[in-house]
Amino acid sequence: MIKNYFKIALRSLKKNKLYTGINIFGLSIGLSACVLISLYISSELTYDSFHKNSDRIVRATMEYKLSGEVNTAAVTGTKVGPELTRKIPGIDDYVRTYISSGTVKNGDKVFAEDRILFADPSFFKMFSFNLLQGDASSVLDASNKIVLTESMAKKYFGTDNPIGKIIHAFDEDFVVSGVCKDTPKNSQIKFDFVTQFLNLNNNVKREQWWSANWITYFLLKKSVDINDIEEQIDEYMLTDLVKKEARLDDGDYLKFHLEPLLDVHLKSDLAGFEPNGNITYIYVFIIITVLILLIAIANYTNLATAQSTTRSGEIGVRKVMGATKKQVFFQFISEATTVTIISTLIALGISILLIPYFNAITGQSFTRLELIQPLPILLLLIFCVVVSALAGLYPALVLSNAKVISILKNGFGSTNRNGSLKKALIVGQFAISVFLIIFTLIIVQQMDYVQSKDLGYNKDHVIVLPIRGDMLNNFQSLKEAFQQVESVTSVTASYETPEFVEWSDGIVAVDENGEHDVSVKAMPVDLDFVKTMGMKLVAGRDFIQTDFALMDTINSDNRDYREPYLINETLAKRIGWKPDEAIGRTISKRVDGPVFGVVEDFHFSSLHEPIGPLLIFLGRNYSRNFMVRIAGDDIQGTLHRIESAWSERVSAIPFDYHFLDEDYNALYESERRSSILFTVAAGLSVLLACLGLFGLVAFSVVQRTKEIGIRKVLGANLGNIMLLISKNFLVLVIIAVVIASPFAYWVSKNWLQNFTYRIEPQFYIFIIAGILTVVITLVTVSYHSLRAAIANPVESLRTE
Amino acid sequence: MIQITDLEKFYRTEEVQTIALNKLSFGVKEGEFVAIMGPSGCGKSTLLNILGLLDDPDGGSFKFNGEEVSGYNERKRSELRKHNIGFVFQSFNLIDELTVFENVELPLIYTGVKPAERKKKVEAVLEKMQIMHRRNHFPQQLSGGQQQRVAVARAVVNNPKLILADEPTGNLDSTNGNEVMDLLIDLNEAGTTIIMVTHSEHDAKYSHRIIRMLDGQKVTENILA
Repeated sequence: MIKNYFKIALRSLKKNKLYTGINIFGLSIGLSACVLISLYISSELTYDSFHKNSDRIVRATMEYKLSGEVNTAAVTGTKVGPELTRKIPGIDDYVRTYISSGTVKNGDKVFAEDRILFADPSFFKMFSFNLLQGDASSVLDASNKIVLTESMAKKYFGTDNPIGKIIHAFDEDFVVSGVCKDTPKNSQIKFDFVTQFLNLNNNVKREQWWSANWITYFLLKKSVDINDIEEQIDEYMLTDLVKKEARLDDGDYLKFHLEPLLDVHLKSDLAGFEPNGNITYIYVFIIITVLILLIAIANYTNLATAQSTTRSGEIGVRKVMGATKKQVFFQFISEATTVTIISTLIALGISILLIPYFNAITGQSFTRLELIQPLPILLLLIFCVVVSALAGLYPALVLSNAKVISILKNGFGSTNRNGSLKKALIVGQFAISVFLIIFTLIIVQQMDYVQSKDLGYNKDHVIVLPIRGDMLNNFQSLKEAFQQVESVTSVTASYETPEFVEWSDGIVAVDENGEHDVSVKAMPVDLDFVKTMGMKLVAGRDFIQTDFALMDTINSDNRDYREPYLINETLAKRIGWKPDEAIGRTISKRVDGPVFGVVEDFHFSSLHEPIGPLLIFLGRNYSRNFMVRIAGDDIQGTLHRIESAWSERVSAIPFDYHFLDEDYNALYESERRSSILFTVAAGLSVLLACLGLFGLVAFSVVQRTKEIGIRKVLGANLGNIMLLISKNFLVLVIIAVVIASPFAYWVSKNWLQNFTYRIEPQFYIFIIAGILTVVITLVTVSYHSLRAAIANPVESLRTE
Repeated sequence: MIQITDLEKFYRTEEVQTIALNKLSFGVKEGEFVAIMGPSGCGKSTLLNILGLLDDPDGGSFKFNGEEVSGYNERKRSELRKHNIGFVFQSFNLIDELTVFENVELPLIYTGVKPAERKKKVEAVLEKMQIMHRRNHFPQQLSGGQQQRVAVARAVVNNPKLILADEPTGNLDSTNGNEVMDLLIDLNEAGTTIIMVTHSEHDAKYSHRIIRMLDGQKVTENILA
């Protein structure tokens, strides 16, 4: 019996190639979206879960209140780990971590490395990074030991066994004590090398509550309650001893929260080693997939139901021959299943082909092999069953419920009931498409705005050269060498690049109105910062060479030590100064200093945030990046010349550069991805909805052949016939536009709220989306209606 | 075998009620070959649908093998139908997607006959109808006469006691029509009861008895044999 079902199904599908094609295409696209998205979601949901202790590891985050302002951070001081492990009985162990970059060398193999992890010795005991060689309890038990990942072992030692060999980094020799598997991509800690935390520098050897730069993990004892531990920590942090150590005034506090390791990636607001995932993103992905799949399912339901008119004879005969309702029902379900199985196989193929593009959109690095695993295949089977049931259910019900005699006599008239379902489905499909079109247009517009917004500085044509190793010792000679390169217009250096300043600080300004405490972002820079960045001064001047004299500690035995400052307009306003009034006034950031200039506000954070108060101070020794402004012509040549200037002076350090606008664009990476995702989704949904419509129009034209013939005989012209066929579909699409627009407005408005600096959803966007949809519909409908309209009426009447 | 008494059937649209069968009564004995004739719209096809348990009467009684079946539900009717009644239609009603063999096999599938036995039965009936050589063809590859032979084969493959034929030669030329009529005669002579609706006086002459209808009522009844 089942064999018979599928045989019939295959033959009937083969006979109706257009509908079968549309259905298989739609479902394949929908299902491959499902497969890929499931891959992404499962990777996100299993983040960090490979650690055996994952349910006992927590990340400590810091919350503190100083001068009335509350701040939070994912980083903590060096004391937090050891001290709390000593004092709180529920804590078993701690690991402090930091990832740094540096040059690693083995013989003639020299590379700049970005993922060198510094961690306390129990690192490999607490976390389950798979050690291939070496023992977890001893690989980090001496300061000269280093663990390499498999890829690094290969990179530096080829096929040799690296254990016991020497590798050179940070001016020290390290003995390779272990090799571990490359870190899984769904791990919040990703590294290539691990060595002891205390190797970082001498400062970290001293335990202190502040100078928070390190991420601290705790291993809790079995079956303790996190909330209890947090309470005990709170209590301890309120003791006088701690308050004294942490120099907390009355009203100030410092406390620590414990985030379960498994919650960090998706649920924490505080980024650690990498930007966190976002659970909203996962919801958006799921919704988009479901929408696309729904459009494909709606196509199936509509086309299968429409076809039932031509299948009436067959069903009638089957029923006369003794088929029961159930048997007819299952026959049509098997047709849906056949289509779905074929689509599923194609979907698997499509997904495998699309993996690289999917990786580009999501920023993941899935491999094709990951798709051909039991779990994705099982999921695919589940989708297959669900989709068959959803798509086949309605047609199967309608067809199996029909009364034999009425089928044999009249065929399946398009009863009013399934007529309204068809209309509802078309409206639904187009509403989804219109919604996605509008939302995509708005995202693209906002991204355009972000790109073209005047940031208060010029991000174009600035090369960023990270300062590594002993480059600071050669600072002046490097800077001068860069300045002399042809096409270089200006050179400066700074701790952070100006598009995203994270250094938080506090200042005190005293004037006739009293003392002003202001929390600020702070930026140590070198000379020519304002000029190189293309910023504007609204009052005063940029730093000049003679300003260094203020900070001269050799000749003035510190008595006259002063730090020169630049402030932004917002900071001046916050203190209560007009730009002109600020010049020459004194500000204190632990060290007093005069304000030499006020820079026009520029965006030193993403456009999600308002511009806050900013202090710029002269701090050449903090420099981590050279920033070199070049003329826009001959960029390649200029880069070559900069590279030669570099290698002449610091040949041991590999040349490394990027452009400032890349840093800027990285701030909007997730928005950029959303915009691609939505563009693809909108395109697909329109395509699928139109294909469905194309099929339905084809059908409607066949059904109305006689009517069209009669109308033509009676004098209808081409326009009349096209209008006759298009009218009904067009009305549905217009209803869809009307339904989708307010919803799209609401969603876009909400999304734009994430940006402090944003566009307003414009009315014309909705008009464009509406017109676009109507035009696409007309084009879709016109093919078949035109064919019907130009057909010879004698032919159409003869078909009866 | 069949006894109908005061059988009534109405068709209602929103405003008009049409009487299709008006207190119609007659009986058919086992082994009989009855032809029903009358102009279009006299209720012949309605009658055949009710006799074939495809439609419900609105009044009167319908006894099949002595049992009142007019109140049967869809499932019971379907059971009775598939074991006892074979249908032959004017327009053949073969399923385009199925081969000759598969079309004939269909009633056996729905009555739950095992595959091996199905094959035997289908092949036997195809031999008998002389279309064995066409077993793997699809209906559209056959002539009208061949299609109707397949339809007859399908109607008899289950060995039904009763065959209902609705203008079986209506779509055929005279040569093919005669061949089909010969097939029906053979079946009748082998013991199958046949009720045939027809417009053709020529075909009606093959039967034992002709019932003529007009406006849902029996007008005359001629016994031929």
